Amino acid sequence: MKILVCISNVPDTTSKINFTEDDTKFDTNGVQFVINPNDEFGLTRAMWFKEKQGATIHVVSVGEVSVEPTLRKALAIGADEAIRINTIPTDGLFVAQQLAEVVKNGQYDLIIAGRESIDYNGGMVPGILATLLDINFINTCIGLEIEGDAVTAIREIDGGKETLATTLPLVVGGQKGLVEESELRIPNMRGIMMARKKVLNVVEPTDSIRGTEDAKFEKPAPKGAVKLVDSDKIEELIDLLHNEAKVI
Amino acid sequence: MAQQYVDMDTLKFLLYRVHDLQTVLDQARYADYDQASVDLFLNATKDFSDKELFPFFREMDAAPAHFKEGEIIVHPQVEKYMKKAGEMGLIAALFDYEVGGLQMPNTVVSAAAYIQETANNHLPGYVGLTNGAAELIIHFGSKALNETYVPKMLTGDWGGTMCLTEPQAGSSLSDIITVAEQAEDGYTISGQKIFISGGDYREAENIVHLVLARIKGAPAGTKGISLFVVPKKRRTENGDLISNDVNTVGDFQKMGQKGYCTTHLSFGDEKDCKGWLVGEANQGLKYMFMMMNGARIAVGRGAAAITMAAYQASLAYAKERPQGRSLTRTGKKDVSQEQTLIINHPDVKRMLLFQKVVSEGALSLVLLTAKYHDLSTTHADPKEREKYLLLLEMLTPIVKTYPSEMGSVSVSNGLQVLGGYGFCTDFILQQYFRDIRIFPIYEGTTGIQSLDLLGRKVTMENGKGVLLLSEEIGKTIREALGIDTLAPYAKQLSGKLELSQEVLQFLIPFVKKGDYQRFLSDATVFMEFFGNIVVGWLWLNISIQAEKALVSGETQYTGDFYTSKIHAMKFYFKYELPKTTALAEILTNKEVLTVAEENSWFA
Ligand SMILES: Cc1cc2nc3c(=O)[nH]c(=O)nc-3n(C[C@H](O)[C@H](O)[C@H](O)COP(=O)(O)OP(=O)(O)OC[C@H]3O[C@@H](n4cnc5c(N)ncnc54)[C@H](O)[C@@H]3O)c2cc1C
Repeated sequence: MKILVCISNVPDTTSKINFTEDDTKFDTNGVQFVINPNDEFGLTRAMWFKEKQGATIHVVSVGEVSVEPTLRKALAIGADEAIRINTIPTDGLFVAQQLAEVVKNGQYDLIIAGRESIDYNGGMVPGILATLLDINFINTCIGLEIEGDAVTAIREIDGGKETLATTLPLVVGGQKGLVEESELRIPNMRGIMMARKKVLNVVEPTDSIRGTEDAKFEKPAPKGAVKLVDSDKIEELIDLLHNEAKVI
Repeated sequence: MAQQYVDMDTLKFLLYRVHDLQTVLDQARYADYDQASVDLFLNATKDFSDKELFPFFREMDAAPAHFKEGEIIVHPQVEKYMKKAGEMGLIAALFDYEVGGLQMPNTVVSAAAYIQETANNHLPGYVGLTNGAAELIIHFGSKALNETYVPKMLTGDWGGTMCLTEPQAGSSLSDIITVAEQAEDGYTISGQKIFISGGDYREAENIVHLVLARIKGAPAGTKGISLFVVPKKRRTENGDLISNDVNTVGDFQKMGQKGYCTTHLSFGDEKDCKGWLVGEANQGLKYMFMMMNGARIAVGRGAAAITMAAYQASLAYAKERPQGRSLTRTGKKDVSQEQTLIINHPDVKRMLLFQKVVSEGALSLVLLTAKYHDLSTTHADPKEREKYLLLLEMLTPIVKTYPSEMGSVSVSNGLQVLGGYGFCTDFILQQYFRDIRIFPIYEGTTGIQSLDLLGRKVTMENGKGVLLLSEEIGKTIREALGIDTLAPYAKQLSGKLELSQEVLQFLIPFVKKGDYQRFLSDATVFMEFFGNIVVGWLWLNISIQAEKALVSGETQYTGDFYTSKIHAMKFYFKYELPKTTALAEILTNKEVLTVAEENSWFA
């Protein structure tokens, strides 16, 4: 089985977020980037297939040279080869078109992307990718088994789970549940050294269109001060929750 | 949000930029490494620390390692950590490829160990000692010893210890009396060792003790001490592990580092304890001392790490705790105003900045010393190796002492930032305060380090070490003199360098007169004086790099990051460096008040 894991490079959640150019651009100064967590769950599941059933794993990211450390980390964890599509990822449509080209050239059986990336939370890429490739698609996937061409996948649905049967080739929108957080892997030094010798192909982007432009970013309003309510003043608490916080 | 315990940006800025790791990676031994792989490794170590170290930090303090029915019970994470550290490559990191190592630079391994120690200083010692014990076997042991012990140690299956201390032989190792008696197939060992860190724990498959002992009939003093491998369990001919008569007879309950067990071991109670000589007879202390630079950097690093973690905790608290109000222009407080955050009070800022300069200054010192260590062994040019060795020798007692001593003061300040809560066990500061207190004691007390600095290092090769270090400081001063905003600080440091020469000119004549007692009586004061100047130098160097980054518009870190480094340097030069003037006054005062065995002074 040949697996492609699509990886986006996202700010670490502890980073301070700022915007420049009239709040139209994300300020990357001093920001630490990591593998998008949803993609990491997918990569870890791919490693399981590699080790238990035999598979080749390629990882791909759309981005400039600054995404290479993230791809190297994926290689250090155990991916066999990496591909970087040398362009700035703009919107979901654009990224999906770039990825589709890689999939077409690489003959992959299984493509795992994250359900969404935790930076812009677009949640579009795996769906558009499957559409462009005209293959099966399972989103919000929390369990994945494969025997030959037959796939059993579990999806999270409101209040429960749904088990689906389908066949390869397939695009999966993965998330936590594909593996648990405790199963995520930390690369060791030998893996890191081996990663230096693995192939990281840089390919030029194809002509693609984008569907949206960033017009403006806004940060959430700063948190207000905490209000303390005496434990015997339940009425006051209800009033505050109702009229001020407007949560009940 | 999880508690922040380390400042990775500062660590990386110091490692890559201020201490220019590339000059180390350029050495042939490290050809397989580049900055990108080092960076991945450090990030992985941080993830590892988040997962395997920090979550257990408070638990290990609350449920200390303890002695029970002949065994030491430790936190279950000890075993897990040892194995995982083995898998990560953390135990094998420094060693040659041929013995299963990774040939990583000490500078990088130190940075990785530092991250772990900021997360939880109770655990990394188990790995550190295993690593140190393996290092002794690899460097000086026979092929058979290497084959028997090293592979299992590098995977973390077997632990390692250093057994030097005995009840009557702590600072003074020449008084060791543990005996090794020649037997048919090696030696039998008998004696007591106390305060042995990581000395025993139930889950360890085996523990490999590196024991200093005296072969029967060996000369007295340091010249008669040999080094032995004495495993808790030895192999029989068919490969089974059987008891080697190494008995755990008790432990020490301590004020801090409670998860890191400290044991009392008794060797050969049943006269069936076998030891294997490492290297040649009577060379034991020499072998130990050859490993000493690394071990002392490691202790300073641990203290620097706790200092950093405490700073992070105090800073987070000060940014959230409202209390009191700032003074208005009338000099009064406006009580109708909401309370301000304590970080806005100048005195709290002063304490936090003090924590910042000590924690980051100590880290800078650790990384520089580790770099000298690397270059002293791997530089292609033998002359350069010799130079770096002398610089390393100069800095070793300081890197053991400055982070330990000033770190303790810094953590105490950090506790103060929390006010009453600092004293309460609900908050983490009191644990850092207790944990760091061992650092000025083990691996040679501050008193002993200070004797080493003034009595041995300052005078070695006719003062060549001091000269070389002064030259390095001089280079930084000259560079800073060329940057307008830093020139005044460069001048200030230059004055301090001259002051140190004046102090030495006062002290050295005592050596010439043969009055060693007087020469060394204030060695610890000299250590404080000299360490302060060295860290001042490091801060000037940090500010040069920050200034350059600001001027060239570098965006790796934010502008605030670089500016904060320059501000910290100014703080150091206003609040810390001037203390050397008072210390110099003490050092050059002619009155003699501590020399002579005169105890009526305490009447
Ligand atoms: C938690 C812990 C862990 C330890 N781990 C280990 C270990 O793993 N292996 C091991 O072998 N040891 C270990 N030790 C022992 C440690 O290294 C010694 O405690 C230390 O070297 C001091 O020796 P001592 O306790 O006998 O104190 P002493 O040597 O009695 O010192 C008492 C005081 O006298 C001063 N002093 C002593 N001699 C001189 C001198 N000549 N000139 C000036 N001042 C002097 C000292 O500075 C100190 O202030 C550990 C100790 C502790 C507490």
